[in-house]
This record gives sequence, C-alpha cells and structure tokens, in this order.
Amino acid sequence: MLFYFIRRVAMLVPMLLGLSLLLFVVARLLPGDPVGLAAGPNATPELIERLRAEFGLDQSLPMQYWTYLTGLVQGDWGQSVFTRRPVFEDLMTYLPATLELVIAALVIAIVLGIPLGLLTAVYRNGVLDYVTRTVALGGIAMPRFFLGLLLQLGFAAWLGWLPLAGRFPLIGFPPEHVTGFYTVDAVLSGDWEGLRLALAHLAMPAFAMSLSPLATIMRMMRASTIEVLQQDYVLTERALGLSSRLILFKYVLKNAMTSTLTIIGLYVSWLLGGTVLVETVFDWPGLGLYATQAILTQDFMPVIGVTMVIAMIYLVTMLLVDLLYGVFNPKVRYS
Amino acid sequence: MLKLNKRQFLQGGLAAAAFGGALPMPVRAAGRNILVLASTVDIPNFDPHTATGYAPQWLFRNTYDPLVRVVGTPPTPTPGLAKSWAQSEDGLTYTFELDPAAKFHDGTPVTARDVAYSFARLLRLKQGPAWMLSGILDEESVAADGEGTVVMTLRKPFAPLLSVLPWMFVVNAAEVEANLGSDDGQSYLMSNIAGSGAFKMGRVLPGDRYELMRVEDDWHQGGNLDAAIWKIVRESSTARLMLGRGEIHIALDMFAEDMEAIKDTPNVVRIMEPDYRSFTIKMNTAHGPLMDKNLRKAVSYAYNYQAMLESSGPAELMHGPLPQGMFGHAGDLPVYRQDLDKAKEYLAQSAYPEGGLTLSMHHASGYENQRRWALIMLESLKPLNIEVDIRAMVWPDVVAMVKSPETTTDFFSIFQSPNYGDPDNTAFAAYHSSRNGQWQNPTYANPEVDAVIEAARSEVDPEARKALYRSFQELVIDDAPDVFGVMELRKFAMRDNVEGYEFCPVSANTMEIWPLSLG
Repeated sequence: MLFYFIRRVAMLVPMLLGLSLLLFVVARLLPGDPVGLAAGPNATPELIERLRAEFGLDQSLPMQYWTYLTGLVQGDWGQSVFTRRPVFEDLMTYLPATLELVIAALVIAIVLGIPLGLLTAVYRNGVLDYVTRTVALGGIAMPRFFLGLLLQLGFAAWLGWLPLAGRFPLIGFPPEHVTGFYTVDAVLSGDWEGLRLALAHLAMPAFAMSLSPLATIMRMMRASTIEVLQQDYVLTERALGLSSRLILFKYVLKNAMTSTLTIIGLYVSWLLGGTVLVETVFDWPGLGLYATQAILTQDFMPVIGVTMVIAMIYLVTMLLVDLLYGVFNPKVRYS
Repeated sequence: MLKLNKRQFLQGGLAAAAFGGALPMPVRAAGRNILVLASTVDIPNFDPHTATGYAPQWLFRNTYDPLVRVVGTPPTPTPGLAKSWAQSEDGLTYTFELDPAAKFHDGTPVTARDVAYSFARLLRLKQGPAWMLSGILDEESVAADGEGTVVMTLRKPFAPLLSVLPWMFVVNAAEVEANLGSDDGQSYLMSNIAGSGAFKMGRVLPGDRYELMRVEDDWHQGGNLDAAIWKIVRESSTARLMLGRGEIHIALDMFAEDMEAIKDTPNVVRIMEPDYRSFTIKMNTAHGPLMDKNLRKAVSYAYNYQAMLESSGPAELMHGPLPQGMFGHAGDLPVYRQDLDKAKEYLAQSAYPEGGLTLSMHHASGYENQRRWALIMLESLKPLNIEVDIRAMVWPDVVAMVKSPETTTDFFSIFQSPNYGDPDNTAFAAYHSSRNGQWQNPTYANPEVDAVIEAARSEVDPEARKALYRSFQELVIDDAPDVFGVMELRKFAMRDNVEGYEFCPVSANTMEIWPLSLG
C-alpha cells in the first residue's frame, strides 16, 4: 500500500505540470486586454506598455511559462494585474472560507445522507422513503442560489433566526487567526461566542450547498444497500441467526459504502468549483467569488491559481478515496 | 398581558435563544456610530495617484483631502485643504492658501510642500486621474511658497481646473518618501493610507469589507460617525434585505427593479436624482458602413427613442452630446427623434439606399437595459431593411475590441459618468480624436470638433465658453456619431437615520461620508 501511495503521489506531479501548461496557454490565448483594463480608461499607450513589461507580458509565451513555473515551486504564484497582490497570499485568504463552507456542506450531506439512505433501503416504499425521495428530487432539481434566496427569506427576513449574509457580524472580531476556519479557530481559542456566531453564519450557506450532495448520497446509499441486502451472503447471515442490526452495520454498510464513497469524492471538487453562486448570494468571501472576479476581468494569474488549487484538492481527495476503498472492502488490493 | 402570535413567538423567543448575537448589527453597534455602505465594487488599490474607479474614489474622498472639494447641485467648488484661492487675470496662475488646521493622520501639518510633492508624483506616474491635467500641468507646475501657500502655474488656461482638483489628493510627502522603494512608493500606498482625511484605514478583508476609523482629533468639522464599513454585497436582493433589516445604512448599486421593490420598506429612503451619467450608442465612424454620415443620420432618425425611455426605468432622454443640467448644455438645439420618413430620406442619400446590410452591435453582458436597447435598435432598423447582429460582451473583450476601428463593432453601447462637473470632461473624453482607441471614444474624429473642444477648455470667459460648447454640440449633432440615448436617474437607497446627506451629480456614488451623522 505504501508503494501504491508513493506511486500515486508521484503521478500527481506530471498531471499538475500538464494542467498548469494547459491553463497557462489557454489563459494567454484568450482575447481581451487585462492590462489595458487595469490601467484605466484614460491610460496612455506608453503606460499600458510599461505595465505590460512590469508583469512580464512582453516576453515570449515559453519564457513567461518558465518564469511562472520556477516561481510556482518557490511559492510565488504570480501577481494579480488588478490588485497587484500576490496570488498565493490571496488564495490563502480565501481558501479557508471556501473549504469551511464545503466541508460543512459535506458533513451535513454525509451525516444525514448515509443514515437516511440506509433507513430508506431497509424500510423501502414506506413513508420515510417517499418523503426522502421527494426531498431528494427537490434537492437535485433546485438551483443552489435559489434555495439560498428562499432560506434568506425564510430564516433571516421572516423568522429572523439567522444572519442574512457574511461570515461573521460586520461589527465584530472573528476568532484569532490560526487556520482561517472560523469555527475551528473559535474552538482553539476557546471563543464560544465566536463559535456560535460563526456557526450561525455558516448554517444557511452550508445547508444550501449540501442539499444536492445529500440527495445524491442518500439515493446512492439506498440503491447500494438494497443491492447488497439481496446478496447471498446476507441471506446466509440471516439464516445463521445474526441480528439485523449486526448484518446491516457490520456487513451491509461497508459493502454499500464503496460506490457512495466515490460519489462523495467527486462531490468535493463539484462543491469546490461550484461555490460561486452560494458565495454570491450569502456574500461569503471565498474562492468562488475571487475566481469569478478574476475571470470577469481576465486576470490570468488568479484564475490559474484557483484552478490549480481546486485540481490539487481534487487529486488528493481522489487518492484518499482510492485508499479508503481498501478500508471498506478488504478485497481491494493495492499493487 | 403580553400576547404573542406564533410568528412573533418564533421571531422573538427562539431567535434570542438560538442565534441572538448574530442578529442585526445596530443592536451590537450600540453606542458607536458606524455607517455601513453596501456596494458591489471592490477597492483593489489605495494609491490616490494610480487607482481608478468609483470604489477607490470613495475611499480617497474620505481618507485623503484635495485642495478643493465639490458639493451640491449644481456642483460647486468649496474649500478642502485650501481655505481660499485666487486666479490671475490671464487664467494661468492659481494661488491657494492652505487651511492651517489641516493635518495628516500622523499629526503633522499639511504643508505646501506636500501639495507640490503630490502633484509632481501624480504627473510623474501618469496614472489614475493624471489624464485630467495632461497638457495643463507638468511636474514643476505646482510650487510651494512658504508653508501655507501653493502656486499653480498652468501651461495654458484651463477653465475647468477647479472642477478637476477634487480628484487630486494630497499625500504625506514625508511618509511616502520614507517608503519610496523602487516604484515611487506605489507598493506602499497600494495598501497604506498617508492622508489627512477624516478617516484612516481599519481592518481590511479584500473582496469583502474595508473598515474606516475616524481619526482622533479630526480636523474636519461635521458629522458624528466613529467609523464606516464599505461592505461588498454582490447580490442586490441581499442588499435590499440588509437595508430593510438595518444591517446596512446605504445601498449604492441599485437598479430600477430594486428601487421599486423597496418603495414601501419602512425606514428606507430612496434617492433618485438626475446626474450626469449618460448612455449613448456610438457608431463606428472610422470603419464599415457607418462611416457614411447619411447612414448614421438615417439610423438616428429610425431609432425608437420613446421605447428606449419606456424600457429604462426612471430616466430622461438625452438632448445632444452633453448631459442636461451641465454648464453649456444647449437644450434648444434640434435633436434626432424617431421619424421614419426622414430616416428613409437619409438612407436614400447614403451608399446603401436599399438597406440590405447587417450591422453589428455590442452590449455589456448581463446588463439588462443595454440588451433591451439593442433589441430596440434591431426593431427600429427593420423598416430600413437593415439587420442588426447583437453581441453580448464582457468588459475586457470590449476594451480590447475598441483599440482598432477594424475590430470595433458598428454600434457600441456605453455609459459615461463624468469625473468632473464641466462639459470639458464629456466633450474631451467622448469626442476628442486623441481618445480614439479608448472605450469612451473608439473611433470618432473631426478636426473641427477637436479645435472647438480645445478652444473651449482654454477659454476663461464663461459666455465665450458657452458659445464654444454650443458650436461643439451643433457640430456633433450634425455629424451624428452617436445615437444620443438616456440619462438614467442615479439610484441608491439609505436608512432614514442617515442625516446630513446632500446629493451632488458629480460621482454621486462616491459620497463624502464625514459630514454625515447617524441619528
């Protein structure tokens, strides 16, 4: 397994290199003039040329890529043409907010989706099955931003239970920065009021993000469980007199989890890449908003940086998923 | 006995039990006057000599000071750092007496040397608002005469000088020089404030919020604000809800639909005022069929202006190239209104008497009103047997497109917001040939118009200037380089406890907040 792990990690390098090359070339070949845009409406041609040279855009494409690549390994991910801030620094600012949102959404989806999937498989065609099926269809069909707006109207504007938007009250100091995850930082610093505020702000956007994966995980878990429950070995276990609970949690759950695990892994990148609408509705200062702003202004380096980060997280997640297969299914061998 | 219905119970009891501390901010801000403004726009750069855009401009108006401010309707130059000024008879020399009370955030007084240093730096860097003074001042034009007197020597008379000065901010020379680096202090000022304004920078979370703190012992007289927050709210429905709940005090980027939605919201005041922001459909006068003046006139007469007005929300039609209400605007000149007979008459005189051509038209992607106005163009030109190929484009593509007439679409939709309340701004930026290749005037060039614009900006006698702008408008209307569109009302909303606000049609959304109070 160790050899498999090392081999998979080594494979990440050429994949990321290829991706960086592709992104770099595509970004540079797009029509548009980000430097002209950043220089302002009344910039002289001389000023635009000076700024172009400052950002190295007057060099040949291979030379630009080489400069980028050598910088990348030294932690220099380039500079935004608009803000002139280092891209790496920006990513470290926005990534924790997005990761916190995505992880919260996944936790909600997993914690609710797996047990509900199991239950609806065991009590299939019962009331719970019909109710969850309806919710699942709605969850998959309803756009996240629309759900977000509905939640805002219901829980913020009408009931007044939850804050409307943002990550923390406007007038208030977030927990002391350690990880950038406000909930984790609040726990680490023992700031329970901060934790309550952070959770209150996290609740609606995380739920809006979670509904689609929740529905998918639930349905996938239900289908897998039904399939496993019909296997001969389950019949044998029942014939041997093992309790239903033991069969379900010790034997069925593990086997049914394999396909659900793949879906969870895929949802990590889906959620990471799709936070923008929820972040827009809830003014969540995360990677999605950062990337959107960069895309709209064709600010190359932030766009490349965000894509690289999402790709890295996706590749690492899929590696973890592959390793977890072995935990849930001992028949899987790494070679 | 207090009776609660189910909704009141849920709103009150459960909310307090669950997330009470996260609820509307005014409760948490008790005892401090903190103004919160919601905008969709970020503030990427804090350097007043290099940054452009309305959000940075708002920051500068509240953290730095210019020599002269602009307030009211009509916009009037009023004292800023300069408590008084005098102009020589030939219009070439201005002398400013600085307010001795003015001081920087570090407590040092603002001196004439700081002013001279700031102008020299601005003109050296040639970025930000430097274009407004291009050809008028050079690096040596502004000099200190002692500690408190600034002498400005113009290379040629420039009538709108006092109107452009509100955008020239003064930095603390000693602080910038101490952090000069290799880029004239640009790296330092990009994220630091070295000003004398009423506020200094507090916490910053790029893309989310910028907090300004009132300077202790602030030398500005007015307002009761302790702090302000520029909060970026990208979704207007969210901004509307926040305004209704009192979580923000001012929502800046409101569309007509938003204004309609909040008209009955308690404690919210809608501001809908005419300002100088105009929308025009420019025509490619340097490449393609619209080089033909008769065809341009045919288009100008064919366009359905009434439909445009009706689809615009609160607005009025433009009357020529200059915004209504601005000095020199000639409201009595005849302008184009829909007249299909005249349109066909001019089409017959053009190189395309039967029509039978397709013209391309750009509009800003995601801007609903621009899309509507493009569709009106499509309908309006059908009787002339002219098709319109409508293209939605994002802004970076537009900026790249207008660099050359060959790549510019036949019609080009554009909003223009004057930076200063003088006809020179619109005339020079939108119609002078030196601006060709820029989005404000991609293609139009007429030497006669150039000459009039140049003469008018150098003329110091108001009546003579007015006459020059009249002939400018006559020439441009006759040339028909644009379909003169609409002037939408400036739209924003604020809570009714914001006191001391006075509308100014110049850069209305970059308001000075230090004179404001929270009641």
